[in-house]
Amino acid sequence: MKDSDKKLYRAKIVDDYVRGKMSRRNFLRNAAALGLGAGVLGAGMMRPQPVFAQNSLEPSKEDLDWVREVSAPFRGTTLRLATESTPPSNAINSQLKQYFEEASGMTVEIEVLPLEQVLQKLTLDIASQLGTYDLYYIDQSWAAFTSRDVFDPREQLADKPDLAMPGWAVEDFLPALVDGIARYEDRLVGVPYDIPIFIMQYRKDIYDKMGFTAPVTLEEYYEQAKAITDEMGPEMYGATGQMKSGHYSLECDWTAWLWGHGGSIFDSNGKFAGNDDAGLEAMEYWTRLWKTMPPGVTGWTWDGQGQSVAQGVAASMMSWGEFFPYFDDPSATKVSGLMEAARCPQPKHALRTVEQTGFGEIPGVGHQGGSSLAVSRNSKNPDPAWIFMQWATSYDTQVLITALGGGTGPTREAVYDDPRIIANRRVGAGTTRHLDVVRDTIAMDMGSEPDLPEWAELANDTIPVRLGKYFAGEYGSAKEAMDDIAQATDAIVSG
Amino acid sequence: MIVQSRSSRIIRTVVGWTVVAIFAFPLYYWLTVAFKEGNEIFNWPPKVWSFSPTVKNFEEVFGISLGFDFGTKQEVLPGGGDFRMGPRLWDSIVIAVFSTALAVSIATLAGYALSRMNFRGRHHFVAWVLSTRMMPPVAVAIPVFFIYKDIALLDTYTGVILIHALMNLPLAVLLMKSFFDDIPKEIDESALVDGASRWLIFRRIVLPMVKGGMSATAVLCFIFSWTEFLFVLTLTQTGLKTVPVVSSTFVTSTGTAWGNMAALGAAAMIPAFIFIMLVQKHLVRGLTLGSVKQ
Amino acid sequence: MKLGVLSADRPLVWMLPLIAMLVAFTIIPLFYNIWLSFHEYAPFKRRLEFVGWENWRLLFSDVRMWEALWTTMFYFGVVLTVELVLGMAIALLLDAEEFGFGVLRTVLTMTLVVPPAIVGMMFLLIEDPEFGVLTFVLDSLGILDKSTPILATGSTALWGVMLADIWQWTPFMVLIFLAGLRSLPPEPYEAAMLDGASPVMTFRRITLPLMSKVIAVAVLIRGIDVFRMFDYVFVMTSGGPGTSTYTLSLYSWQQTFSFIKWGYGATLSLFTLVIILVIANLFIWLAKVRW
Repeated sequence: MKDSDKKLYRAKIVDDYVRGKMSRRNFLRNAAALGLGAGVLGAGMMRPQPVFAQNSLEPSKEDLDWVREVSAPFRGTTLRLATESTPPSNAINSQLKQYFEEASGMTVEIEVLPLEQVLQKLTLDIASQLGTYDLYYIDQSWAAFTSRDVFDPREQLADKPDLAMPGWAVEDFLPALVDGIARYEDRLVGVPYDIPIFIMQYRKDIYDKMGFTAPVTLEEYYEQAKAITDEMGPEMYGATGQMKSGHYSLECDWTAWLWGHGGSIFDSNGKFAGNDDAGLEAMEYWTRLWKTMPPGVTGWTWDGQGQSVAQGVAASMMSWGEFFPYFDDPSATKVSGLMEAARCPQPKHALRTVEQTGFGEIPGVGHQGGSSLAVSRNSKNPDPAWIFMQWATSYDTQVLITALGGGTGPTREAVYDDPRIIANRRVGAGTTRHLDVVRDTIAMDMGSEPDLPEWAELANDTIPVRLGKYFAGEYGSAKEAMDDIAQATDAIVSG
Repeated sequence: MIVQSRSSRIIRTVVGWTVVAIFAFPLYYWLTVAFKEGNEIFNWPPKVWSFSPTVKNFEEVFGISLGFDFGTKQEVLPGGGDFRMGPRLWDSIVIAVFSTALAVSIATLAGYALSRMNFRGRHHFVAWVLSTRMMPPVAVAIPVFFIYKDIALLDTYTGVILIHALMNLPLAVLLMKSFFDDIPKEIDESALVDGASRWLIFRRIVLPMVKGGMSATAVLCFIFSWTEFLFVLTLTQTGLKTVPVVSSTFVTSTGTAWGNMAALGAAAMIPAFIFIMLVQKHLVRGLTLGSVKQ
Repeated sequence: MKLGVLSADRPLVWMLPLIAMLVAFTIIPLFYNIWLSFHEYAPFKRRLEFVGWENWRLLFSDVRMWEALWTTMFYFGVVLTVELVLGMAIALLLDAEEFGFGVLRTVLTMTLVVPPAIVGMMFLLIEDPEFGVLTFVLDSLGILDKSTPILATGSTALWGVMLADIWQWTPFMVLIFLAGLRSLPPEPYEAAMLDGASPVMTFRRITLPLMSKVIAVAVLIRGIDVFRMFDYVFVMTSGGPGTSTYTLSLYSWQQTFSFIKWGYGATLSLFTLVIILVIANLFIWLAKVRW
């Protein structure tokens, strides 16, 4: 059996087992035949399965006891949260909140929406100071404009010592994420809640066949992508992207290449810097790399990008690590067990420092798209909401989210080392075998977008619309496109 | 009608079937997606006829087990865990039915008056009614959001029913007026001379004659309410949601759950289609939009 | 019973519910929007500030707005024409009792019950650059290969969106026209047959004139909706690539909700309303529509 076939088969039997299609004895026999170690077997048994393995993954009793105790005055309260449909929110909504509701006597209503609709709900709520939502799900690019409408968790801890969850501290969250996602000026806009971040995900089988290893430099990545596309196209392309015009995802791809070439979005004077030499070098690189991607890439957000890898059309993608557990799902994709994760290639030129950029931008190839969870200042139930927020972001809950929610990246350092998470490092839906790479990326490669109130407009419209025009061939050159972006951006920023 | 030769009838039949087949194809394809596993949705060449059907998507969307393949229900789904869309379908039905009833009732009353009673500026009044449909929905949604906030109609059936009825009124009034216009005025006039009151004439004589027209109007109102997106998105929170809005739940940060979305879309066609079938015969007959008579 | 204007013999009481609804939900919003267009939301102060004519000045100097207006007009013209012509053609075709035609008419109505937001997703899948059925068909026919993704190429994206609209709403026109055709009086046709007039001649001389009012009203109703089209572009292209599929509705939605520029969003909406009003009234006047 080839190595890749073996992995695929392993994924299948693990999956069959947890879905109850295969008896435990058959599973063990098959697994033994594959020479699987105890860790993998353990993983199979640990697999979240409400029907078969309910006992292994239940919320911590102590935590729920605490919830029960502090919630006593608030029984009957209804809490509302509007959130993007992300793995943590889904896991909480579908699996975990029932425990909280049972313990607290509160009702938690979670409205799951696509990102742009969450923004719409949020802006209406803030602008009207309605307080319909007690908690806000805040994408990192909205931190600036929501900062004055949410509580800083440090203040909440100080003001309400009796409501503080034992062992819950802001310091336990990865410091890089607190800075990159939750900090705006000197305030914390809640705490980091989830962390999709760019990692390198590639087809091990194809890279092996071509004699490649995971790329170390951006230039090497391009060479590999080009070689694969030349050799195997149009059935297989070396790279893929999320390059839909006018969509936030296009801006995300751009920043990775920009930062990776020593560029930055803003200079220290707060002027757009994407049209300087480094910025143009990045555009030159990106334009070359684009030619190695499937032609449809300019119509895709992360959705199409993920599909192109999942359905075996692209051999690699430098993009959201959240996709990795999905790629391992044999019922949804054709690449289960074939993917490997690695850190992003190293930047071509030294990264700019935060001092050389503007508005708190942090250059780094590993673009992060995290979000935070915070209690709204407009809420009529800030105290119960604060209880829920601590519980939802507590250590134990994050472990369960990561295990149940399909291997999403935790925002707490210690969760990465939890045995329940390590046990899930096997091929199959919801794997966690990429999380070491995620942790390293957060520590070493993370790039964060600037924080300014106009950023939502710049990142969702000004920049991606013009980049889209560039890739549609509506500008004479990259320089022309970047100069146009510079002019538009500076006009918006200067008000 | 013109008598046609046999060959031209055959051509007509074939062309008719072909044209409708082309229109039906996207629906058929969407239906196949609803019955496909994730890895069969994206293929080159696309799988149009041959795939192994599964009811998994429906089970996931409605949180039920259809019992075809036991124990395969996945525990955490890509889009949002147990979606339990059943109640959302119910929300859609309640809103569409009541907003339709409201719109048709109001439009019937107004349509009768506009058809039977002459008053100064009647033409302008009708034009004004129509012009209320020209307002971009975004421009209506925000003020209504604030009004609703003050009178506690946000996130309620009543709120959405009212706004959907409103949205349909211009069309419904035009239609109802035209159906009344089709009924000879002499009927009411002779009854009036006989001393019957307006209300009695309306209820006993005219109303039964426009039943078909009311059905046709109802179908249109129902369809527009059933498919409306922006108002429901803006005016609801967690209490209720209709199918068009809730279908975007499947657009997640880790890709779109196409199979689930298609399953919901397919299931949502059934109630609407039943409604259309119920009034089918009035539909093709009734939608003349203001009669052919000049 | 003497109730004055409220008597059942006077129109007012009959139209009171209608008037109440329209005043509450359209007149108030209209004035609110007019008021809003002279203000702008200041995110940091969290309140609306008076800006005078600033939004209106901005409107006329905004290149994006003019582009969106042009896109909207183009979309409006093409979609309405195709739906009208195709709708009439199919209605004439299906206006017969051939084998299974009753079923076909029913099947056609099914496109109408799918929410436009879902239709947008359907066509997104069908036109997917890598896996789409339409891409496959066009590729096989040699019309368009994979290197030209339909929705991501400036010259084809708008057509890709139009396709969804045409697919969904042509059957609407068919329904209306079929209803019209069936209520035509038979006498003129009998006379035409005796004279031996050709089908084309019959259609031009008899059907079209008799159907003119039905056609005019259908065009009017559909036209209003086409001009305000939002769902398809929102779902399928987000206005891209570049600005090639930005319509006025999408642009004002984005200004309002994505950028929280409520004042400018309201200005855009009012401007859209004015344009629709002008076009519609021009049409009503030209087509001599009387209610």
